[in-house]
Amino acid sequence: MIRAALYSATVTALFAVATAAVPAPVAAQTAAAAAPATLTIKFDGAMAPTGAVMVALFDSEAAHDKGGAPVRGGMAKVAGTTAELVIPGLKPGRYAIKAYHDINGNGEMDSNPFGMPLEPFAFSNGAKAVGGPPSWADAGFEVAPGAATVTISFR
Amino acid sequence: MIDRRNFLGQAGLVATAAALPAAARAAAPARPDWFAAVGDITADIAPQGLRRVHGRAPAGLDGTLYRNGPARFRLGGTAVGHWFDGDGLIRAWQLRDGQAQLQARFVDTTKRRTDTAAGAMVQPGFNTLARPGAVVTSADDTNAANTSVIVAGGQLLALWEAGSAYALDAQTLATKGPLTFRPDLAGMPFLAHPRIEPDGRIWNLGMGGKMAFIWRLSKDGSFEAGQSIPLPMASYVHDFTATARHLVIVLQPWVQERNALPFVASLEWRPQLGTKVLVIDKADLSKRRVFELPPLFFFHLGDAWEDNDGSIRFDGCFESDPAFARDTASALIDARTVRTDRPVLRLVTLHANGRASVDDAGITAEFPRSDPALAGLRRTRTVHVGGYGPARPFARTIGIWDWQTGRDDAHDFGAHQIVEEFVPAGRWLIGTTINLQAKASELHVMDAARVADGPVVTWRANVALPHSFHGSWLAA
Repeated sequence: MIRAALYSATVTALFAVATAAVPAPVAAQTAAAAAPATLTIKFDGAMAPTGAVMVALFDSEAAHDKGGAPVRGGMAKVAGTTAELVIPGLKPGRYAIKAYHDINGNGEMDSNPFGMPLEPFAFSNGAKAVGGPPSWADAGFEVAPGAATVTISFR
Repeated sequence: MIDRRNFLGQAGLVATAAALPAAARAAAPARPDWFAAVGDITADIAPQGLRRVHGRAPAGLDGTLYRNGPARFRLGGTAVGHWFDGDGLIRAWQLRDGQAQLQARFVDTTKRRTDTAAGAMVQPGFNTLARPGAVVTSADDTNAANTSVIVAGGQLLALWEAGSAYALDAQTLATKGPLTFRPDLAGMPFLAHPRIEPDGRIWNLGMGGKMAFIWRLSKDGSFEAGQSIPLPMASYVHDFTATARHLVIVLQPWVQERNALPFVASLEWRPQLGTKVLVIDKADLSKRRVFELPPLFFFHLGDAWEDNDGSIRFDGCFESDPAFARDTASALIDARTVRTDRPVLRLVTLHANGRASVDDAGITAEFPRSDPALAGLRRTRTVHVGGYGPARPFARTIGIWDWQTGRDDAHDFGAHQIVEEFVPAGRWLIGTTINLQAKASELHVMDAARVADGPVVTWRANVALPHSFHGSWLAA
């Protein structure tokens, strides 16, 4: 049984990292011109047409699975049920994404008094939470040189 | 268990197996008769009239006995790993004008939907590991809503312990969904054993390791107040109790020491820690006292009360360790029993001088209940099931123990019956049994003043429902 204590110790601790690491809007990162890969992340299935999707992009198993810092972060405004974030200037290779929908736009992943998430979250590669975020092995995907697109659903 | 094919193979009898009479072949490893207690119900049960097999219904006893308990344990060749991990089936036993009927419906939980879609019992539980296809985005994704059912605000609340209450329609038993008492409290745990004051106000706990969330709801089930409090230790808490003025939280030395799955693997029995009893003032949750008791294991407590000398008293059904909870209740699913301690009825006194003591009734007992009009007030009588023996971990008697006279007014239904919780209904007790001979569930009414006389009326269903845990009587 995934009790509150167990759950908060896993899911929210890692989302705290994602939240803290979300940096300036992606538009500021313009060093993309010479970059070998541009990743477009499309979100669908948002439960409310408000706020933004907060995104943390990881480039290593160590950072993803052990609470390390993401290599990039971003924020994608939600319109209707979708949102889109473009991250240019990526080195081709393996990545994984943790994202949550900041429905009320307060910049935080709201949680109940026991630290359990109150806002929707999702992961790359269709990976699902099983009492905590999925592992790098389940959420990882390859980014090839050029333009790449991944879709993440909040459904 | 002997594998019949291997057994015959080793004996060199494979060729003759087909020639054995069907009865002889079927006689190989038989399941114990009590297995009906953890059997599977495959579909909801539309309202059906019950056949009266004994006595007559008391005049004017109209109402519904709502009960809850797990009733789907297996799917697609898989099974849960523990009695507590099956899907909650709400049963409505309705009495009207001397007739009785039964309706039963599964709580339509996220867990049940996920398992059904996967075609297997994939969601993790108390002692069930997640299987491929499991999705757990919150504790409620594993919420089986299978432990109790109460009536509040004109609807039913199907209760589990580590997640939300599920709201259901009281007439159709249709699931409305998990209940959020306030948006920021979504998904907070809500024990299956709220304490309800005689005027209807509801107190409950939600457990989170060394924290407890104290719920206070109005009579109609709406949120009044809630707050987290720290606990002396991260005990497994299934139930608590209360007097009119105090909450009484018994912290047994079965403590959560790590994050592990299944949940039971996170708990360790540490008898050296003893049992701590936290007493909290309902009017000011910061006012607290802690009492010390020897190491005790329990699931269920009776309502507490305060005596004139300033002491607090409550009874409970205690065991010497968590072997039943950990081992036996898992083995049952595989039709096995593991011999464990039997629950005994004991009275705990928290003396005004800070000392605590325990007295034995000298009987085995479980599922303690008492008059809801006296909840939190001085009382002497405790309704209980009992007659636990070594052969199976289920009750066969119903009784009312009187702490004043030291006498048990009990009725033995016999070895062919498994007795479930009985609840007070005015001057009567009402409850259910599984009749293993008739292979059918039965509904009984007892005279609370003469339990030993046996049921005043018994009705029989045409189905044996698995063992239920807890429920509520709602007078019409």
